[in-house]
Amino acid sequence: MGFSTVDRVKTAFFRRHSDGGGPILLDRRRIYLLPTAAGLLYAVMLLTMLLAAINYNLALGHLLVFLLLALGLNTMLHSFRNLHRLRLTPGRCAPAFAGESVHFPLWIEADDDEPRLALEVSSAGQLLLRLEQCPTGGDWLMLPIGSQVRGWLPLPRLKLGSRYPLGLFIAWSNLQPEMRALIYPAPRHTPLPPPRENTGEQGSGDDGLDDFAGFRDRQPADSPRHVAWRASSRQVDERPLLVKQFAGGSHPEYLFDWNDCLPADDETRLSQLCGWVLAADAAGNRYGLRLPNRIIDCDRGSEHRQRCLEALALYPAGSA
Amino acid sequence: MKKGRATDTVLEHAALPWLQAAVLACLLPHALHLPLWLSLGVASTLAWSLNLALRQGSLPPRWLLLLAVLAACGGIVLEYRSLFGREPGVAMLVAMATLKLLELRSRRDALLLLILACFLLLTHFFHSQNLPTALWLLFAVWLIVAAMLRLQTSALPPRAMLHTAARLGMQAMPLTLVLFLLFPRISGPLWGLPHDAQRARSGLSEHVAPGSIADLALSGDIAFRVRFAAGVPARNFLYWRGPVLEHFDGSAWTPARPGGGKPRLETTAPAIAYETTLEPSRQRWLLALDAPTSWPATARLDAGLSLVAREPLHERQRLSFSSSLDYRYNRDPNPGELQRNLRLPPGSNPRSQALGRQWRDEIADPQARVERALKLFTQAPFAYTLQPPLLGPQAIDEFLFEQQRGFCEHYAAAFALLMRAAGVPARVVTGYQGGELNAVDGYLVIRQSDAHAWSEVWLAGQGWRRVDPTAAVAPERIELGLVAALPAGEPLPLLAAMRAGWLLELRDRWDALNNAWNQRVLGFNAERQREWLAGLGLNPGDWRRWALFLGAGTSGLLALLALWLLQQRPRRDPWRKEWDKALRILARREVNCAPGEAPLQLLARVESRIPNLAPDFARVVNTYLRARYGPAAGEVERQVALRELRAAVAQLDKGRWF
Amino acid sequence: MPGNPAPSIASLNTVLARASEVILGKERELRLALSCLLAGGHLLLEDLPGMGKTTLAQTLASLLGLDYARIQFTSDLLPADITGVSIFEREHGEFRFVPGPVFTQLLLADEINRATPKTQSALLEAMEEGQVTSEGMTRPLPRPFFVIATQNPSHQIGTFPLPESQLDRFLMRLSLGYPDPAAERALLAAGSRRAGARALPAVLHATDLPALQEAAAATHAAAPLIEYVQALLAATRHHPAFMHGLSPRAGLALLAAARAWAWLAGREMVIPDDIQAVFPALAGHRLRSAQGSGFASQEELAALLRTVPIP
Repeated sequence: MGFSTVDRVKTAFFRRHSDGGGPILLDRRRIYLLPTAAGLLYAVMLLTMLLAAINYNLALGHLLVFLLLALGLNTMLHSFRNLHRLRLTPGRCAPAFAGESVHFPLWIEADDDEPRLALEVSSAGQLLLRLEQCPTGGDWLMLPIGSQVRGWLPLPRLKLGSRYPLGLFIAWSNLQPEMRALIYPAPRHTPLPPPRENTGEQGSGDDGLDDFAGFRDRQPADSPRHVAWRASSRQVDERPLLVKQFAGGSHPEYLFDWNDCLPADDETRLSQLCGWVLAADAAGNRYGLRLPNRIIDCDRGSEHRQRCLEALALYPAGSA
Repeated sequence: MKKGRATDTVLEHAALPWLQAAVLACLLPHALHLPLWLSLGVASTLAWSLNLALRQGSLPPRWLLLLAVLAACGGIVLEYRSLFGREPGVAMLVAMATLKLLELRSRRDALLLLILACFLLLTHFFHSQNLPTALWLLFAVWLIVAAMLRLQTSALPPRAMLHTAARLGMQAMPLTLVLFLLFPRISGPLWGLPHDAQRARSGLSEHVAPGSIADLALSGDIAFRVRFAAGVPARNFLYWRGPVLEHFDGSAWTPARPGGGKPRLETTAPAIAYETTLEPSRQRWLLALDAPTSWPATARLDAGLSLVAREPLHERQRLSFSSSLDYRYNRDPNPGELQRNLRLPPGSNPRSQALGRQWRDEIADPQARVERALKLFTQAPFAYTLQPPLLGPQAIDEFLFEQQRGFCEHYAAAFALLMRAAGVPARVVTGYQGGELNAVDGYLVIRQSDAHAWSEVWLAGQGWRRVDPTAAVAPERIELGLVAALPAGEPLPLLAAMRAGWLLELRDRWDALNNAWNQRVLGFNAERQREWLAGLGLNPGDWRRWALFLGAGTSGLLALLALWLLQQRPRRDPWRKEWDKALRILARREVNCAPGEAPLQLLARVESRIPNLAPDFARVVNTYLRARYGPAAGEVERQVALRELRAAVAQLDKGRWF
Repeated sequence: MPGNPAPSIASLNTVLARASEVILGKERELRLALSCLLAGGHLLLEDLPGMGKTTLAQTLASLLGLDYARIQFTSDLLPADITGVSIFEREHGEFRFVPGPVFTQLLLADEINRATPKTQSALLEAMEEGQVTSEGMTRPLPRPFFVIATQNPSHQIGTFPLPESQLDRFLMRLSLGYPDPAAERALLAAGSRRAGARALPAVLHATDLPALQEAAAATHAAAPLIEYVQALLAATRHHPAFMHGLSPRAGLALLAAARAWAWLAGREMVIPDDIQAVFPALAGHRLRSAQGSGFASQEELAALLRTVPIP
């Protein structure tokens, strides 16, 4: 990471408490401004030029020095203005698996119509993202943060800075929006355990529309859309219209048990369970989860998957 | 800062053309002063880097660059015999800046180059500070700023980039002006000027030989400008006196050794006052109108009635003089003066000397001898020309008796020699004659082409009297100026050649502009600044107040600029403004309106919190809602509604006290 | 009608007054429901059983003089039970369409979330298109056509929650909630009004409604108000409390509802108060809460309204 002493001191000096979950408006008190190394060099150059102008009695030399000086001071204001009245609103962060990079969404929007250019978001001295221009209507900043362990990953302290317009000054603001992302355990891909004995329950009502199973006679309540016109027309008179019949597939059902996992530490077990959940979900199977502190009944669908993964991520908490 | 490095590393290829344009603009004027080989090297390096940028090729290896640097250093040492000093220093800077273009690896490198380019701009002023230079450099600054901008952002299209750069510059202008006027000026130099700071310039020479002034006459450069307090005197009085040449060695005239007593001047005409702005000539002659009666303290009048400055003129200077156009000078000669002015090297120009002696013997009255000599010039077929034939060792003999074609210095020198031979003390005076009135700003402009030489003779009872033999040969030279006096087909000084009316006017305007530039901008030195501040009622010696002035001016302007920049928000409509006023009134009664609180909701709250204010506020709410959200009415109705709203808010403001 | 809207508003106020005699202490909800119908939108009532949802629908139907039909949704209800079926008549050798209960002016779809998604979508298609397509024939529904659907809170057993895309077809979602103590006392004293609701005399005629709707839609919305609506939409789109924001169609719906609300309040222009009044009913079933899996709560919506500045 390379977190130098200077950075540490600066962090301590400019520390701000959390900014909460609401929008953050960058105002006068939040924006810091310092000359960059190039800015200092520029100043030294101006001083040298001034001395030369005095020595050789160059009236235009004076004028040039003053123009460049005024220009430098003007860019200081522009640097400040570039950040001033920017509004940052924390968004909702989608969960990720441990080891993946999480993208924290931060809505950035200017309060006025002035363009905001060359914005850089960094954290702990590392550049996360560069936004060339903040669109007038606002835009999502997706801040990539690496995740290592499962559980809640809080958004680290951010620094939104810009060297616009000339790179002589850097204006920045420290941000600590209250955002966190849920990190699921890193999935471990192992073969699925044997499915649970079929309880005889044949899924829910909408299963009957999946696979074509044959024809039957039409009843008045049948949707005309399911009438097999071609098949019916082939029939002799006396028969009623035919309707296509569908049957629900029978999928295996799993209950992933903590105790079925390889005997290993908790994290490995959780990873394995996570891998199973993903595999079962991908196959469209019904599955449930049995953790030492919690049981999740068999079901399917994205909400169920989310519930299961959440339980794994927050284990042993969230036993409710 | 680690982060800084991370973002600085990449230099986009698309940014390169901007850098090249900025550097090119910076270097281009240097081509006028740099040795040809260096200019060619710079041009080819630029072309190379342009080619690299177009092909997105890779940068040349370091060893090649090192080689190029060494070659440049070697060349510069050979050229200037040194690596240090002003000229070789500039050459080095130019070479380095150009080679840096081939070594741009990061954004930081590029920024460094652009900052260096700013310094390079300054070096142009060693050569010229005129208006075109200033404009070109402004253009270069523009490009540099645009390139710096390009380094930071790629989001703007080129036009917007240039536009933003221009806006940055424009916004800096007021502050530039304040700094220029108020920043304490120090008279340089701070350290010794390198001797090459004073380069030879064309101008009057203290060594007049046939041909030396004719060279000068081809130059259209301005020698000085004069503004008369009253009107401009007649042309034939406009003799601007330079060095007096008393010593003749047979071919050239040179000044006598200094000393020789004070001049005694009796004026017979009222003095006229005028102000002269002298271009730097690297000489000490101040060129007052014949004959000066008052002059600045930094000058003194020498025995030859010429004004001499204490220091050579390295800077443009504005000086006040007054002169009397009719005078008697040294009626009682200084000791030795007459002897000195009768001396002739024996054996030189024998025929001329013989002619003079003949006149001395034949004509008793010295005055008549002068007339006789002038008659010689008018009667014989003498021609006035800028292209006199080459003369041999006995130049004056050859001129008087064979070629009979010459320029003013030929006539003045020949006349003085004839007079000395005829026993009349005589000498050559150089300076300028005439000048041209610029109709635009009323300045009389004296150019190098107005350089002139004439003679002076000493006559008993009259003292030194000016005799201009050129006037006898070519009266137009004195009456109308050089161009009128020259026969057709002569090569003419470029600027003097413009006779077309509109061209002349254009030139006058340009001169006037340059003059204003010189007077106002370039002439604004430590001394002028003190005068200007004193004019403002500020004692320039009062450093504390001065610093206060500067600080207040700078920070005040910056604050104004900041305010202006930060207040550029969408303008609120007048209804909303009144509504905000009403909200402020409520806030004073501790009813604060939440940003998302709708008007009627707020009214309900006011009714429960401050019932006695409610009726007034209800009126405000109703008028506001009707005016702001109601169907668009005509302009008249809008104004009526606005007035109503204002009245309601005013009522609310009054009501809050009860 | 726009030239002289007063009698219509007066009659609508009569409707409101009469309705609040039946449904006690729910004037705001009644007003919202009426606005919803005025804006030409369908209404979803979500509440526990026995809160007066059906009574409300019946009351409105009677007072507005609308044809009324009611379908009790159950898990075995089929789409054809709603839209109607074509019956093949042997004697004529052709199909004859027997229209379903949907061919009415005000349809009360009771407990819509108890039917299967397939059946739900049959109704919702009819709501969206204003017509029923079956067996290649398109049959227009009568005008006006309103659906007041009721549903039990989705966590109840044996329900199929409406998918979001179909929820969007309801202009508003209201929930009546428990009556306040005074109203409840009156209710207990007088007994259920449900029977009386059917017998209420009509105040308006069904043919009056289109003109009223037109007048309501003509309510002026000034530029600053449009700006406010836009700001609200933008806020929902990046507010951390919500999963995703309101669609442009929801924005149009918001404006239409606010127009009706303002017109009902006797105003000739829409003001921010109107927007705020209808916003929770409008956004509640369109915004998913970021916390948990449910919809945005009334508190979250109120917080949003508080923080978005009115331009």
